[in-house]
Amino acid sequence: MSKSPSSLPIEIKISTVVAISAILHSSDPIAIDAALKQMTGGVSDFFEDEFAVIDVGAIAAETPYIDWRALVDLLKKYRLNAVAVRGATPEMSEAIKARGLALDDGAGADRAREDVAAATAASAAVSIAPVAAPAPQPAPQSAPQPAQTVALPAMIVDTPVRAGQRVYARGCDLIITAAVNNGAEIIADGSIHVYAPMHGRALAGASGNAESRIFGLSLQPELVSIAGVYRTFDDGFPAELARQPAQIRLVGDRIDISSLTSHR
Amino acid sequence: MARIIVVTSGKGGVGKTTSSASFSTGLALRGHKTAVLDFDVGLRNLDLIMGCERRVVYDLVNVVNGEATLNQALIKDKHCDNLFILPASQTRDKDALSEDGIERVLNELIQMGFEYIICDSPAGIEHGALMALTFADEALIVTNPEVSSVRDSDRILGIIQAKSRRAQTGGEPVKEHLLITRYSPKRVENDEMLSYQDVQEILRIPLIGIIPESESVLHASNQGNPAIHFKGTDVAEAYEDVVARFLGEERPLRFTNYEKPGLLQRIFGTK
Repeated sequence: MSKSPSSLPIEIKISTVVAISAILHSSDPIAIDAALKQMTGGVSDFFEDEFAVIDVGAIAAETPYIDWRALVDLLKKYRLNAVAVRGATPEMSEAIKARGLALDDGAGADRAREDVAAATAASAAVSIAPVAAPAPQPAPQSAPQPAQTVALPAMIVDTPVRAGQRVYARGCDLIITAAVNNGAEIIADGSIHVYAPMHGRALAGASGNAESRIFGLSLQPELVSIAGVYRTFDDGFPAELARQPAQIRLVGDRIDISSLTSHR
Repeated sequence: MARIIVVTSGKGGVGKTTSSASFSTGLALRGHKTAVLDFDVGLRNLDLIMGCERRVVYDLVNVVNGEATLNQALIKDKHCDNLFILPASQTRDKDALSEDGIERVLNELIQMGFEYIICDSPAGIEHGALMALTFADEALIVTNPEVSSVRDSDRILGIIQAKSRRAQTGGEPVKEHLLITRYSPKRVENDEMLSYQDVQEILRIPLIGIIPESESVLHASNQGNPAIHFKGTDVAEAYEDVVARFLGEERPLRFTNYEKPGLLQRIFGTK
């Protein structure tokens, strides 16, 4: 490259972008619309204008005709920008190109990945490449949902949770660094961690995750529940574990309480 | 800069009105123009405790509805020139209090030059209590050292933190003060009652004072004279300490230690 970059009106470089795969198992737009609606839960910014590669590998053989315009519009409705189609039959390619979509046959992705690996300033891009350009092999494509590259961070609460108050950490863990008083309710879809005296009700795995646990430095709860299995403490919390670092988890269908500081 | 202070508790019968009466009297005696408002529509008793029940012509609901002016409704306290009382209605119900109406009344009081406006809240967490706390800058959380009072105080704290005007507009939070009333060091010693440290441990707000259990309170309400006027009694001194601390003075905590009566006292039966 003897020309200095600034003298060219346009430069072409290999770059990678993050895109999601929208893998179709049906060509019925109504069914796809309903599935997307359920997936996004009615939240308008579930997708944030990401690129989408429409993967029709599973249905291409039985469905020779796909209304590409309707499909692109449908994805647009959910804020997905379709840019390419993967897994299409050769007969579909005219219609696809006419819609302005690129054909992603996977081979180009391999080539791009090799070039990227060779490029000097590509260290960051290499790590993105597998996500952006999955090989034609089924394995990387098997992610059934659009890749969620960001897991929701835990909800952190620093102020006391008072009687009658309720905290719900949706889709994530709940971390509380101040007291949870009697009459308060703390709920999480994930695990619950309380780094202060805990007296109220704690419900972990609220959406059904039985692996969730409740961790506390000083547990004295009224009621605990994991994935719907609950236990109250009519005779008091087990004395040897009260106000000690402890963890509560589901063992089978039984609430198990164990110490965090010693082996039982 | 006028301050609106709500005296609330959640639990009934813990000493809100007793405390409102003495606290506002204490501020007025120190030279601050003070108004105390009764928000317990239908069950009013601030006027009884203040000894002005026979001078009630108009009340808070009349003012909110525009049926009377503040000047007509405010009653000047007979013991103290700086203190004015706005009684509650006896015959209407709590729905007569509207948020806009209360806001107007409070603003008008501020314009009249009142430095402190004490809102005596009814018990509970319903409309009357909500109206009393909505516009508060500070709160006295009156709590007896026993479990159900502490639980209810915790609840009302949560409500202040969620529903006050300051909370809803994202302003500086309401300044909370814990006022423990009916404290009996003897019963704490015997493990019959929570200690003030226990109460603080649960509620986690700064302690502004401890009012000891005392017969003086009953005498005071019977006479229609706020307890703080009974010079020399433990209750009067405790309320004076509260007013002093509120105004920024340091006062050591009193009336918290139980001293076992000496042998002679026990034989001859003095308390």
